Parts: sequence; structure tokens; C-alpha cells
Amino acid sequence: MQISHSQKVGLTLAILIATSLGLMGWKVRNLGYSLKDVLPLTQYEVTYALDFDGHGDDVRVRSFLPSNDARQTVTEERDLSSGLHLTQVMDGANRVATWSGAEVPDRARIVHTFKVLPHRVAYTLPADLPVPDVYPPSAAPFLRPEKEIQVDAPEIAETLKRIRAGEGTVLERLTRIFDLTHGLQGRPFKGTTDALTALRLGEASCNGKSRLFVALARAGGIPARLVGGLIMERGSKRTSHQWVEAWVAGHWVPFCPTNGHFAELPERYLTLYYGDETLFRHTSDINFSYQFETRKALVPSPKAKASFTFFDVWGLFDRLKLPFSLLRTILMLPIGALVVVLFRNVVGMPTFGTFLPALLAAAAGSTGALWGVVAVAIAVGAVALARWGIQRLEILHSPTLAILLAAVVFTLLTTTLLAERFGVEPLTRVTLFPIAVLAICAERFYLSLTEHGGATAGKELLGTLFVMLACHVVMNSLALQVLVIGFPEVIFLVIAADIYLGRWVGMRLSEYRRFRALLFEAKP
Amino acid sequence: MSLLPFFGAAGRALLAQRERVIGINRRNVTLVYPNNPRHHYPYADDKLLAKRCFDAAGVPSPETLAICEGLFAVPGVVEGLRGKGQFVVKPANGSGGGGILVVGEWDEAEGAWRRAGGRRVTPDQLQRHLGDIIFGVHSNQLEDAAFVERRVVPHPLFSGLWADGLCDIRIITLRTHPVMSMIRVPTAESAGRANLHQGGLGIAVDLETGRTTRAVHHGRAVELHPESGAPLVGLQIPGWPDVLDVARRAAGAVPLGYLGIDVVLDLERGPLILEINARPGLEIQNINAAGLGPAIARAERG
Repeated sequence: MQISHSQKVGLTLAILIATSLGLMGWKVRNLGYSLKDVLPLTQYEVTYALDFDGHGDDVRVRSFLPSNDARQTVTEERDLSSGLHLTQVMDGANRVATWSGAEVPDRARIVHTFKVLPHRVAYTLPADLPVPDVYPPSAAPFLRPEKEIQVDAPEIAETLKRIRAGEGTVLERLTRIFDLTHGLQGRPFKGTTDALTALRLGEASCNGKSRLFVALARAGGIPARLVGGLIMERGSKRTSHQWVEAWVAGHWVPFCPTNGHFAELPERYLTLYYGDETLFRHTSDINFSYQFETRKALVPSPKAKASFTFFDVWGLFDRLKLPFSLLRTILMLPIGALVVVLFRNVVGMPTFGTFLPALLAAAAGSTGALWGVVAVAIAVGAVALARWGIQRLEILHSPTLAILLAAVVFTLLTTTLLAERFGVEPLTRVTLFPIAVLAICAERFYLSLTEHGGATAGKELLGTLFVMLACHVVMNSLALQVLVIGFPEVIFLVIAADIYLGRWVGMRLSEYRRFRALLFEAKP
Repeated sequence: MSLLPFFGAAGRALLAQRERVIGINRRNVTLVYPNNPRHHYPYADDKLLAKRCFDAAGVPSPETLAICEGLFAVPGVVEGLRGKGQFVVKPANGSGGGGILVVGEWDEAEGAWRRAGGRRVTPDQLQRHLGDIIFGVHSNQLEDAAFVERRVVPHPLFSGLWADGLCDIRIITLRTHPVMSMIRVPTAESAGRANLHQGGLGIAVDLETGRTTRAVHHGRAVELHPESGAPLVGLQIPGWPDVLDVARRAAGAVPLGYLGIDVVLDLERGPLILEINARPGLEIQNINAAGLGPAIARAERG
């Protein structure tokens, strides 16, 4: 029996799709791959930026840095402070950092960054849990009064009695204390408010409410402590935050009376220290000011990494110490190329070659799409200018291209030099853009310019940039990246789509415009 | 499959028309790939190879005066042309008209050839031009061959449309059956190129009769030449059956099934094949105000 051409194509498509879906199904069923692990997590990058004037004297600044625990994973910590020495010691659960330096000049700066992968936590407190008579030695000290947590003040005892927080189960007592402190007026006050003041005023900021919570809990027989930290939000801010933890049946359970979180803590809370501490202590008289800068990024879930074991390219890259970004760039290229095919064959948008927009998008992955556009514009501008200069020399094709490459390199370096000189810091990064990709782009632009003229070359350039941005969006979809890394057989589906498009005879969108007179207008 | 039917009569009309008009995807998948195997592209891309096929099959094309297939041949060719005139130098693998040099009469007093616009070309310049072609300057490849053809003297009908150069008749053929045709006319605006996107004129020619039926300039139907005012519609191409016959025989001389064949009408020799194209453009549909689809279907029925 003779197999027709379209049967061949159909058979190939069926095999590709069946292989891909079959492998995926097998991995989910038999190897325990889980699609929900594919969803990315939010990672925060936090920077402490501390500014002060050293006046040429000795300076010491002491603060707290976050520790790893069940709720937060801290990685990629870097200290970028120059001229100051950083020492770290553990003080109980707290990581105390001290920056010290001699003859520190004015306008000095401490910059310390780290990345945090936080998790939301929520506890369900048993309704019938009684308050124990005796606590283990680790919890017992958290019943004692402190200078600003006046556990044994008569007003605290009266309040405890009034709200009946000294009787009943743990849940009942904590609920009543939480309701009282959460119900206090908020107050945009940055200084310290002790427990009694908060109670007397009936209003307080986060630290006043938290101290009152701790005082009442301790007075009510439940160990409690202050927690200091940061609510991570994109941008810069000058406010830290305080909340509390109560010891319940061996667990430190979080409460935030300021923002109304009962026995739970949202993801964006970053714990920096425990206890009634001050976040920053420093040599006096140095015009100290601080700022927290927070950026958000999506990262693959560690669970996905652990569950993907068959054809484990992710693990391979880990063992070879190759960056995750390289793996995702390689695996996303076929998908980027499919996006280009869609734009070329379905939309009818001209581009420089099939790979180039996808390659440009991959290259822009490290510098950002905007810098990809800037780098391409610089390269193409250099080519246009150089061609204008050398076309009257009538030299051969290959040497011409070599000269154009030199012009591109020279222009990029000059741009970076000028950018550095005039302090346009982001523009210095155009040199990071992979030169090989830019060189191909320059060559394609030159060929188009000489063969088809400026109008066509310009159209193709705009098309290339547009499709590059589209590729950038698709190729940077983290869920898609993790999907392809966990299920590389998705590439078979991409190939199937390519084959389908390769036999697709429909009219391109641009052709509806080109043949509009034939398609839309009445025939004479 | 499409939402268009829900837009009523206009949508249905669009769908019906869409079946007639051939887009790039459909041209490539249903016409170019099945009929023009890629390894046979040289028959269209290499003008010298095509000419050899035409000569072998007795298909008329402009007379070849000389061929330079290497730098060594250049001085001999230039010497042989000294004293002669009215020829054209072309790269075998050029594209878009690049590298084509049209040369007029030999001027013994100056020791140079005349060119259009009062310019001159000396034997040294000609030698250099041939060298450039051989080095691939005009064909984006490492080396190429140059050849010299006798200059076509166009029939008055065509020199009336464009005096400074050649207008050609483009005939689309499918397996030697003519499918659609047009005349491409350069203008001053298009800088002497017959490129329809750069201001050239396209004139539809009725396949049955050889009469021009409509003309298009910049996508708009016109009746008169936009520069000279000459009438463009209702012209009769002389010897039209011969033109079609030459096109059929040219299509039969090469192993390519779907072609754009460019024919010129020489005053003395009649229709000559200028070149053939294995991926002919689709703009001919706009010129003829008709999709290629029905004509292709007729040709496929034979």
C-alpha cells in the first residue's frame, strides 16, 4: 500500500504527540512527577542600605541578619560595604552583625544584600488545650517581665481580669489578648512604645501593640516574645516591623496584632531577630539613616527540582555547576523559534532569519529586554553608518562584513566608555550583550539593506525587535521554563506544532492587507 | 474553523475569495515544493545554466556573446568586445538586477563605449566590472560567472512604454501551462527597475487574446502611464500565440514545474526568454484583479 504525503505528515504528528503525552503521563503516574510543583515561587532580594558620616573616626554599626528556619530560606548573601569589617556572632537565635571601621570618612555606606524564599505559615490551635502549670526551661524565661514589658504592673493584671484573659484555655486567652491589642488605635509613630503606655493611650504602633500582647500573654501564663523584622514589599522603605510569638505546646506560634494575623504569618514577613531589641545600634553622632530595598523575582520551586528525576538535565547542570539560566535558555530556544515561526508564517511579519529573534530574546534574558533593543539599535546604527562610509570603496562581501563587525565592536565599547564617563550606569551593560548574536544581527541587517534597500531592512528590523519582545515574554515565563525542564518531551509537541505550521497553507494576516482589493472589494 | 461565516454575506464573500487568492504559504506548500525540487533551483538561479537548456531545446533567448567563468578569461573577453557595441553584461547568479551593465555603441575616437545618459565605459572599467562579478560582488557568494548578451532591441509597443530599458512579459506556468500573465514596466520613479513595490507599473494581459486589460500603479488601477500619459489598457501584444509558445517551450526545457517566465519581445527575433524564476511573486494577482487559484485549478486539469 502506498502512503500518501499527507498520511506521512499525519503519522509523524501522531507519533510525536503520542510520545510526548505518553512520556508525560508515565512520569506523572509512575515517577510521581507533579504538575503543581511546576508553579514558581516568589523570591525576594532584600538590601540593607545604611548611610552615615564617619567624620574620619572609628565607627561601629550593629544590626541583625536573617537566619534560615522552617519559614524562610536565605541564600546568596553578599556584603558590598567597602572600608568596614563585618563580624557575625550568634546570640541565642539571633545572628548579630557588626560592621566596624577606623578613620571612616563622611558619606560612608553599608550595603548588604540577600535573597529570601519565604513561606506562609498558619497554625490551628486546639480549642481545648489547657494552660500548663509548668514550662520547660527553654520557654519559662519568656514569662518574666522586661523593662518595657511590664508583666507585673497592676494595670496589666486589671486588664487581664477585665478581658478574662487569665482564665480558660490557651486559645481563649490568646484570642482575647489578640482582640484587645488588634483593636487598639493604630498610630504612625516610629519610636518605642512600652506595654503600659500602649494600654493607657489606647493606641500604639506595631511595637506598642506587640509589647502589650507579650505583657498580657505572659501575665496570663503563656510564654511570649517579640519578633522584629521586615514586611517585604517591592521598592524602598524605612520602616521595620514587630510582631509576637506565643509558646503553645512546644511551638512558637506567630501573631501580628497590628495587621490582624492570628496564629499565622503571610509569606512576605521576614524575621530578623527575636526579643525586645533595637534593629540598629551605632556610634553616636554619625547622621545614621537606613533604608531597605526589596525586589521580587519568580524562581523555580525546589520541590520541582527534587521530583524531576528522569532525563534529569536540571540535576546534571547542578553537578556540573552550570547556571540554571543557561539550561533554561537552551531548552526555551525551540519554543522561541516556534514563536518566530508563528509571527513569520501566520502573521506575516518579516524578521532577520528564523533563529535571530529567539536568539536575541535568549541573550536579552540576562540583561533585560530593553537593553536587548538598545544593543540591537546600537549595532544596526553602527552597520548603517559604516556601510555609508565604505560602500564607495566597492569592496568584496566578506571583508565588508569583517569591517562591519569591527565597527559594531568599536561602537559598543565606545558606548560603554561614554556611559561610564557620564554616569549612565545601565547603559554600560550593553557590552554584556552577547556579541555573537549582535554580529549575526548586523550581518542580516547589512544583507537586507544591500539586497532590498532601506525600507525593507527597516521593516525587518522592526519586525525582528517586535518578535524578539514576544519571544522574551514567552521564553521568560517561569512556569513554562520549569515545565520544559521537568518534561523536556514538551519539545516534541513544539516540533509537532512546527510540522503543522510547515504544512499550513492558510493566508498570512499581512496578506489580507496585501490582497485586500481582491478579497474585500466588489469585482468590476 | 473560522468566525467569518457569522459576519453574514460579506464574510461569506470573503471566504469564497480567500479560496481563489494564493498566499505565500499556499504557493510554497502546494505549488513550489511539489513542482520545483530544491536541487533543481540552479536551473532558475543560474542564468547561464538556464540559457544552455534553452539553447539545447531550441528556445530563443538573447544571443550570448561571451562567457567569463574565471578571472583569466576577462582580458580576452574585453578585447573581443572592443569595436563592437549594444551588449549587456550580467552576473550568472545576480539578484534584483544588481551588476547588470547595459552598453551602447563603441566610440572609436574616445576608445570607450557609450552608455545611457551620455556616460562612458572604458575597456578598463569593463574589465573591472567583469572582475567584480566573478568575485561575487553582485551575488553575495564567493565566486560567480559573468556573461555578455546582445542587447535586445524592444518592439515599439514596449519601447513606447519605457524608452530607456526593457519591459518584460511575466508569464506564470504550471507544468508548461500558462496560468496568468502581466507586463512589468519600469518608471523614472522606480529608477528603471521593474519592481512593482518601488513605483513600477504592472499591466494585466489576457491570456487568451494578448490584450492588456488593466494597469496598476502603487496598488491603484490606472488607465494612462503616470509619467508619459500613454494609454495602457487595450493594447494588443503582437504575436501573442508565439509568446505563449516560447513560454511553454521554455518551461518544458527545465526540470522545474512552477515558474515565472520573463519574455521580451525583440524587434527582429520576436519573443525571447530573458530569465526564469522558481518562486514567482504573487503580486500578479493584484495586477490582474484575480486570484491564481481558479487558473491553477484549470491548469492542473490540463
